Amino acid sequence: MTTFQSIGLPLLALLALITVVAMVRHSINARAGFGWLAVWIAAATAIARPSITITVAHALGIGRGADLVLYCAILGMLIGFFFIYIRFKRLDREITKVVRHIAIHQSERGD
Amino acid sequence: MAENSDVWVVVPAFNESTAIGAVISDLRHFASNIVVVDDGSIDETAAAAETAGARVLRHVVNRGQGAALQTGIEYSLSHGARIIVTFDSDGQHSPADLPILVAPLLEGKADIVLGSRFLGSADRMPALRRVLLRIAVFFTRLMSGLKITDAHNGLRAFSRRAASMIHIQLDRMAHASELMDQIRRSGLPYTEVPVHVRYTQYSREKGQRTVHALRIAFDYFIGKWVR
Repeated sequence: MTTFQSIGLPLLALLALITVVAMVRHSINARAGFGWLAVWIAAATAIARPSITITVAHALGIGRGADLVLYCAILGMLIGFFFIYIRFKRLDREITKVVRHIAIHQSERGD
Repeated sequence: MAENSDVWVVVPAFNESTAIGAVISDLRHFASNIVVVDDGSIDETAAAAETAGARVLRHVVNRGQGAALQTGIEYSLSHGARIIVTFDSDGQHSPADLPILVAPLLEGKADIVLGSRFLGSADRMPALRRVLLRIAVFFTRLMSGLKITDAHNGLRAFSRRAASMIHIQLDRMAHASELMDQIRRSGLPYTEVPVHVRYTQYSREKGQRTVHALRIAFDYFIGKWVR
């Protein structure tokens, strides 16, 4: 086992454990939980058996396994940013509603 | 119409303490119900507006002009407004345009009246601003299909029916285009009337910078996605 594997695999196992605990406690919903578990398992597989990434990369027309991992990471982050941005905008609107409520109700108490 | 209690004027204001007093005093010659929405100002905007005789609503934090307009509109509706006029706080608009603006509503000819500086007049409008506003009008016509000559004029009048149907969700400046979309979707009759816009040194400094146009367009498109 390489040094990277001996650091990476226990770390991913810990993350998977945390995810399962969070799912059991219902602090995240099942869909999100399984999504994250899939991510951890995929990462662990790629670290434990790097040759698998090469096979998958070739199947997708990508030359190297490392490139496949890089592309997936970038794509995943972009998708993540997009959803966070949407959520942020929604939160912004909720804040506006709260501010509006305070503005209108404060003035009515002052009348 | 000086004592017309059916007409409510909504004035969104952010750090306008130097201009707002005069704007409110002038407005009071034409309308008795004036609602200033102080959008989290850090200066004496609220006090100046109150002294000049306006009702003041305070946003505890700055939420942008679109948000302030919606707050003022909701408040006015809940106090029985029959007609709601939106009016800028920086002294660009002329209170003398109010009777012209509400006339089509009183005559039942329209539910929404939009002020147009291009039908009317604009003093000392910078050339670049003129070009940009023309582009904005083109953009708005394209997106909303409304046949209008001035999309980004803060001077507008709504019937109670129209105001109840409008929900400005885009907090910042992109609300102008959003509003046009909603006007079209409401299917209510709208019209434009010529109004006068004055570009003073002050309003130019306080107003939108030309470079913000892209940001506004971006907000508008994102707003179409976030519901």
